[in-house]
Amino acid sequence: MPQNEYIEESIKRHGRRMDHDERKRKREAREVHKQAAFAQKVHGLKAKMYNKKRRNEKIQMKKTIKMHDEKDAKQKTTDAVPDGAVPAYLLDREGEQKAKVLSNMIKQKRKEKAGKWSVPLPKVRGIAEDEMFKVVKTGKAKTKSWKRLVTKATFVGEGFTRKPPKYERFIRPMALRYKKANVTHPELKATFQLPIISVKKNPQSPAYTQLGVLTKGTIIEVNVSELGLVTTSGKVVWGKYAQITNNPENDGCINAVLLV
Amino acid sequence: MSSIYNFKRIQPVPGATDFLDIVLSRTQRKTPTVVHPGYNIGRIRQFYMRKVKYTQETFDEKLSQILNDFPQLDNVHPFYADLMNVLYDKDHYKLALGQINTAKHLIDSVAKDYTRLLKFGDSLYRCKQLKRAGMGRMATIMRRQKDSLGYLEQVRQHLSRLPSIDPNTRTLIVCGYPNVGKSSFMNKVTRADVDVQPYAFTTKSLFVGHMDYNYLRWQVIDTPGILDHPLEERNTIEMQSITALAHLRACIMFFIDLSEQCGYSIKEQVSLFNSIKPLFTNKPTLLVITKTDACKLEDISPEDRKLVEDVCKDGSVELSQLSTYLDEGVIETRNLACEKLLQQRVAMKLKGQKVHDVLNRVHLSVPAPRDSQDRKPFIPEQIAKRRKYNPDDPDRPRLERDIEMENGGAGVYNVDLKKKYLLKSDEWKYDVIPEIMNGKNVADFVDPDIEEKLAELELEEERLEAEGVYDSPEEELDEEEEKIKSMAREIRRQKQIIAQESRLKKGLNRPVIVGSVKASRQTKDDFASHLEKLGVSSDVADTRAKSITRKRTHSSTRDPAEGMARGTSVAARAVSVVRDRSTMGLSSDKQAKLAAKKKSMSQRKGNLMARAGEADRSIGTKMPKHLFSGKRKMGSTDRR
Repeated sequence: MPQNEYIEESIKRHGRRMDHDERKRKREAREVHKQAAFAQKVHGLKAKMYNKKRRNEKIQMKKTIKMHDEKDAKQKTTDAVPDGAVPAYLLDREGEQKAKVLSNMIKQKRKEKAGKWSVPLPKVRGIAEDEMFKVVKTGKAKTKSWKRLVTKATFVGEGFTRKPPKYERFIRPMALRYKKANVTHPELKATFQLPIISVKKNPQSPAYTQLGVLTKGTIIEVNVSELGLVTTSGKVVWGKYAQITNNPENDGCINAVLLV
Repeated sequence: MSSIYNFKRIQPVPGATDFLDIVLSRTQRKTPTVVHPGYNIGRIRQFYMRKVKYTQETFDEKLSQILNDFPQLDNVHPFYADLMNVLYDKDHYKLALGQINTAKHLIDSVAKDYTRLLKFGDSLYRCKQLKRAGMGRMATIMRRQKDSLGYLEQVRQHLSRLPSIDPNTRTLIVCGYPNVGKSSFMNKVTRADVDVQPYAFTTKSLFVGHMDYNYLRWQVIDTPGILDHPLEERNTIEMQSITALAHLRACIMFFIDLSEQCGYSIKEQVSLFNSIKPLFTNKPTLLVITKTDACKLEDISPEDRKLVEDVCKDGSVELSQLSTYLDEGVIETRNLACEKLLQQRVAMKLKGQKVHDVLNRVHLSVPAPRDSQDRKPFIPEQIAKRRKYNPDDPDRPRLERDIEMENGGAGVYNVDLKKKYLLKSDEWKYDVIPEIMNGKNVADFVDPDIEEKLAELELEEERLEAEGVYDSPEEELDEEEEKIKSMAREIRRQKQIIAQESRLKKGLNRPVIVGSVKASRQTKDDFASHLEKLGVSSDVADTRAKSITRKRTHSSTRDPAEGMARGTSVAARAVSVVRDRSTMGLSSDKQAKLAAKKKSMSQRKGNLMARAGEADRSIGTKMPKHLFSGKRKMGSTDRR
């Protein structure tokens, strides 16, 4: 009855076969050729997947090689430029640094001036009524068709109370209602799942804004209290606007960019 | 034997990427793959919903398989629970399984959400995107389980290599300092073939071996050596020993090396015994002195000897000596240990509740003596006197066996089975009676009362004959019947002739005159002769010929009033006419005229006002309820 580390035990007792190391070496050497042969033979979806995998492996390989190389290469030190009197040929380095600061400042100013009302997605695709709504036939003989079913994602506020279902013109299905959005902070480059407070504006039509339809490009207000943002005066920011960047009805989730 | 604690059956746990490949390729293989945008949207939705659901089900199946396979620490024997805690860390293990469980639930909820979303998909593109997003999210959840899956796979591999120890059976546990000869003893006693090396900690985990003693199966557990320090400082290897000592109800054999070849002094070894003594309570314990070839108890210094003997002072611990090198005292020690454990187990069983279950079933009832008289069992005198059968006695009753032996033994002599048949007459004993006769079993036809029944039947027959039941009455044919019979004979003959003629005609190989032509060629006389042949008077032919040649009157043009004018009632007329319904039921034309007048008078008002009358087409109910309500399932629009 083999128990515990019986494989190691067996190797310890009886050793390996004589040509074990040689076989191992040969197999390793052959591996490269095998891979190459496979890469040439494979086609279709498998090829796509294989190439992607191989690419990632190569990137990883190059990175490690680079890391090993860096150990030997001379590293630039930030304080290479000595203090005090500096020879003329070194002066432009400092100037360059300065230039960068300046350009940054200018960029910042330009951004503030022009981009106060600019949003990440300035244009949106128009959505026709019949894409947005599905006609629901009502009446005993199903002849009346004044009811509409919203087929896009919607936000329905917490305090919303339905009209009597008989007279409700717009139906917003429960399956398509959303309460949270994945909001990316463009400067922090981090994404948070934040609760939606309201729909500020749907660029398609004010009616959609009213209905709380969430489409690509819609501006929503999100609850950023968990980010702990503070205004210049020191108050905690509670609500902030964000713009939806994906098609929620296709993805089943809402991705948005915080407008800062 | 220890089937409950066999962890070899756990299925391999694939890594996260392999897991995804398995599940997704299964979805691809097992669900339909062809869909077109032209399909009915319901069909498209259903196609993608099925994919999402199927993927979720596969994930669910695989993950619950993992959850079911891995033992739950609360359900296994405390020995195994503790051992697993020592080896794999209980918290880590539980966390990994918990994460798998959470992942399962998350995947379920994702699938639920996306099937709901798919219900609102209005195009193939949108449905496909939703399916893609749903599967992507499931894959992400699964990819996050990479570490748990990897850990569980390692645990599985290690678990499957654990020795299968049955915690409830008869067990000897060998323990002591490292390098004192535990594994050597194990190899001597069982066939376990544990590695023995001249350095400490050769045995790094528990080993189990099996042996037989007293026709019972015993397991011997070899533990790694333990050092004398507090429990908190013990490492994993030592903790395995401690677990075995703590949780298995077994005979403990504490090995001690008096020669100090192991590198630890006698004092140290004794102090270890004392420090782990709490683990030995209620267990038979043996202090085994090993390596007696090098040093015996008698050879050591008095102080050390006192130390060793102090251990055995209270009587619960017994002393035994052995040398695996010289093969001295090994079997004796083993037997001693086994005996001690057996005694203890039996005592334990008697103490427990279980013994009552068996004892309750066994009941010996002894009636209370009524009086002082001694009532012995009754044995008839004849029986008591009967001589006991003795094969050496020449006067013994002769058995069939003896007869067989006299006549040449088995194979030569055939035992006479017919000898003891019980029949009316002994002569019949050897009569040959066929069992099967003419393919029938004779026994089926044997009736013991056959003779009586036959006699009875014959008697009855005689009686019936005497009564004249079988006498047939005299038959007299009168004239009438004679005539009918001869007619019938004639008819039969005629029929035969006709049949023969038609048969001749059928076989003809020449043009045939068609029936209608033939009929036109025949004259009245032919018809008359034919009739005569049939026995009908020929003047029928005359009347028939006349009626054919006479021209037919036009009954339709006949005026009905003429009929009435003939003075007969309309209904009583014998000649067929197309009836005018307006005059039906009216006895005279006067009455008819009156009726017509009444009719026109009644219609006048309606006609003047252009009202709908009786004759106008009318639809009573335009939309009968039963044809216009409810779903149409079967039947047509007008008939359901």
